Amino acid sequence: MAKNPTGRKRTVKKRITHKVRRKTTAPNEVTVPSPVAAATTVSITVNGLRHTLEVGRDLTPSMTLAFLLRERLGITGPKVPCDEGACGACTVLLDGKAVLSCMMLGIEADGHEVVTIEGLAKTDAVVEAFACQCEPGYGTAMQCGICTPGFVMAARALLNDNPRPSLGEIKEALSGNLCRCGCYAAIAQAVQHASEKIAATGERA
Amino acid sequence: MRTPYKPRVARKFIGSYRPKIDAWDKATGKTQFADDITIKQHFPDLLYAKVLRSPHAHARIKTLDTVKAEKMPGVRAIITYRDPEIAALPMTSAGWTDGVDTVSYDRMMWHRFRDRHVLPEVACWAGDEVGVALAADTEVQAEEALAAVRVEWEVLPFVLDPIEAMKPGAPLVHPEIAPNNIMPEDRVGGANVFVNKGNVERDLAAADVVVEGRSIHHNATQCSLDNWCCVVAWDDERLTLWSNSYEADQSRMHISQMLSLPVHKVRVVSSFVGGQFGRGDTGDQPFFLWTALLAKRTGRPVKFRHSRRESFHDSRQPAIYDGKVGAKSDGTITAMSFNSVGNAGAYADHTMFALKFAPMEVTEVAFAHIPSVRFESYGVYTNKLPACMMRGVGNSQLNLVLGHMVDMLAEKLGMDPIDLVIKNFGHEWGKRPDESLTKVLHEGARRIGWSEKRHRPGLGPSYADTKKRGVGFSFHPGWHAEWQEVRRGEVHVGITVNPDATVTLDAPTVETGTGSNTCNVLGCAESLGFLGLRVEDIHWVSTVDTDTSGKDCVQTDSAVAFLQSEVMIDAAKEVRNQLLTRAAAVMKVPVAELDVAEGRVFPKGAPEIGMTVKDALLRSDRVPFTVKLSRAPLSQRTGVPYIATFAEVEVDTATGATDVLNMVVVNDCGTVMYASGAEAQQLGGQVISVGEALTEEIIYDPATGYPLNFNWIDYQFPTMADMPEVEPVLMEVWRGGGEYGACGIGEGTVTCGPRAILNAIYNAIGMRIDDIPIKPEKVLRALGKA
Repeated sequence: MAKNPTGRKRTVKKRITHKVRRKTTAPNEVTVPSPVAAATTVSITVNGLRHTLEVGRDLTPSMTLAFLLRERLGITGPKVPCDEGACGACTVLLDGKAVLSCMMLGIEADGHEVVTIEGLAKTDAVVEAFACQCEPGYGTAMQCGICTPGFVMAARALLNDNPRPSLGEIKEALSGNLCRCGCYAAIAQAVQHASEKIAATGERA
Repeated sequence: MRTPYKPRVARKFIGSYRPKIDAWDKATGKTQFADDITIKQHFPDLLYAKVLRSPHAHARIKTLDTVKAEKMPGVRAIITYRDPEIAALPMTSAGWTDGVDTVSYDRMMWHRFRDRHVLPEVACWAGDEVGVALAADTEVQAEEALAAVRVEWEVLPFVLDPIEAMKPGAPLVHPEIAPNNIMPEDRVGGANVFVNKGNVERDLAAADVVVEGRSIHHNATQCSLDNWCCVVAWDDERLTLWSNSYEADQSRMHISQMLSLPVHKVRVVSSFVGGQFGRGDTGDQPFFLWTALLAKRTGRPVKFRHSRRESFHDSRQPAIYDGKVGAKSDGTITAMSFNSVGNAGAYADHTMFALKFAPMEVTEVAFAHIPSVRFESYGVYTNKLPACMMRGVGNSQLNLVLGHMVDMLAEKLGMDPIDLVIKNFGHEWGKRPDESLTKVLHEGARRIGWSEKRHRPGLGPSYADTKKRGVGFSFHPGWHAEWQEVRRGEVHVGITVNPDATVTLDAPTVETGTGSNTCNVLGCAESLGFLGLRVEDIHWVSTVDTDTSGKDCVQTDSAVAFLQSEVMIDAAKEVRNQLLTRAAAVMKVPVAELDVAEGRVFPKGAPEIGMTVKDALLRSDRVPFTVKLSRAPLSQRTGVPYIATFAEVEVDTATGATDVLNMVVVNDCGTVMYASGAEAQQLGGQVISVGEALTEEIIYDPATGYPLNFNWIDYQFPTMADMPEVEPVLMEVWRGGGEYGACGIGEGTVTCGPRAILNAIYNAIGMRIDDIPIKPEKVLRALGKA
């Protein structure tokens, strides 16, 4: 149990700080153009495929990345249960970092590389660990599975940064993702198993 | 590595630890939920619907002006309460059935409380869907058009508290049904005093020891991540509904009855649901109806999906329970009396299920040896979010007071509460001590370290100066044995054997995450053992489509885990017969002389000269053959197994914060059908139980009646960082009817947690807190510090 005397404030903060949010890109990344200066087209690479999109026709300036992916590109892996950055189910990788695609505009992804769960191979260590988790005493790493794409992507980003996280670091990194079925213990096991496999094989997404 | 459970009977498939059958699809994001199936790419001419939500806790629409909205871009249809097709709809309820059976309008479970108009003129809570719905080309256009609808409200007085609502002169919510807001007696729930066994007053007066206490359960909500979503499309006079209702057959019946369509003119399709937790039972949602009418008007498919805010749609029934229990000095309980007041919120839905139906079942199976038992209950309308079904319905509320009484009584008697429980509780078919109850409690006690950690209330050591630790438990009878499921009627399964000896399994149920699809595949592999199947040789049909599927076995009561597998035992016998008939023709051997085992058909006693089933079928006419079978659940009354949750907490007496350190969840399953899935339910249930115990509560502005925390930042359910270590313990002690004799466990895993935590808090600090969630200020108040 989190040592959290004042209820939830700390957790709330945690939920948003571990994800890269709008315009807080890593130093070596391309600067996100401001919406005002946006060209009439934006170019976004999604799961290795480059999409050139015309602003106005293909996307609007106010359209979230989650909406763009799901409703315009038909990529429905990212889910949108809250649409306000509270649940993590829409998590995707932006240049390898976890972002909440419901909290980011589609045009902000211009020039960036987006990976959704559809972009991970079936052999990906994290995907495999989530699928196979059934170690006695921990249950399965998903039940209904609607939060799973978000958890997998957040775990993938964590392991990209920190291939051997401690249990505490796993809990910290994934506490922005909600699972009402309550598979947290098995998810933590899965991430540890994925970490072990990555350490053994040197795999990186 | 934790210790796996030991099965009572070793089986090849049933009871195994393994990944879910849909684990790969879910881990790769391929699983399609309703919102994924209904994107515009799949429905190019899709329209999007929005509905007016009341900004007032209680108000009547005085005037409604849609002229401006009609002219907004993209708007295709606007429907209001004044339109004849809405006005013609009968009064309804969102609680036709508890999900166990499919019911028609006349037979709806709580027919006495048909209190809902579809798109009503009067709003009964702040957030009620009222008056007007519209469809536009895009969701944004629909939102903008809705904002352009001009509504003049007559704001009515409102009431939020059920005790206030019962007083004379209180604002009335449904005066035509409840003239004083108190829901009247009805045939299903029974009288206000709905259990009255023995003579409670006499036995309380004669008791050596009497304890009295109160428990208040607040309004947690299900928090399914899969927002309600539907698309309705018409093809001439035939309607199709795609949705994330987990009751396909009931959704079809509901739409058919409410829109006066023949059943065969309604098709309902449901596939995976992203978490159910009892959310808004049932397939009876009024928004299906007006979405259908918008689709009819426009001739286009219309999608309606709740926003997160709208997904705060119904809650557990908040209930105030007062208990009084009397016992002899040797710990024999002689009388139990419970009075409850439940806050139904704005609509009755399943309030009386929680307040009367569930406690009646518990009385029957757990209080059978108590001479005098009395329950009196009142459901009260208020202007809050309606209370419908939530995992553990009624049982969670009752458990909170039951575990309270047990803990208080044991303390007053100077007994260990575990001994007190074992001495008194059991069902009428069994002897005391009940073997299941005894083993469950002793195992839980051993695992949590009961005898080492339990101390006199508040008198344990301190940690880090201000912190105190304690342990507590609560127990409950299970309520999902096969005999308790008889009301379902026949349970359907269809097994198709393909010419390559693989199997297509139509065990219709909408998979909500409980793993019962995996139970079904394991049950199929087990019952068709003679085919020598592997799990991957069985394809489970994941979509329930009322055009082609059997009646879906609804995932209520967690009983799908075994109900369909029991029917497969019978179906497998017929599969065997049909297989041998086909093989006999191929092999030119009389059927009576053939046998089949481990995937080979052979003359009896001569397995070496036979052939594989696959060879036999490929040499036949290669037509797949199907056995469809249905039968009612067995009615033999076998009693129920027991469940218990143990908790260890640490309370900071300086800040009032409670940390749950450890939990042990013990379930006697009868037979474990699928170990990994069962454990996932035991662990997962604690996200709800810990949340309900410590943080989850809908908060209203008392001045306006407006709910303030319909989002996941302010309505707080546990994250991974918030959860304690939970140890799941599966046991097989009791046995039900049928081949497996299993009992559903998933629903009940949420039930004992809050009381276990409350009793542990009492053990830690020596002060009792009556109402959950236990927020720090309540602890400080109990300690006299606030």
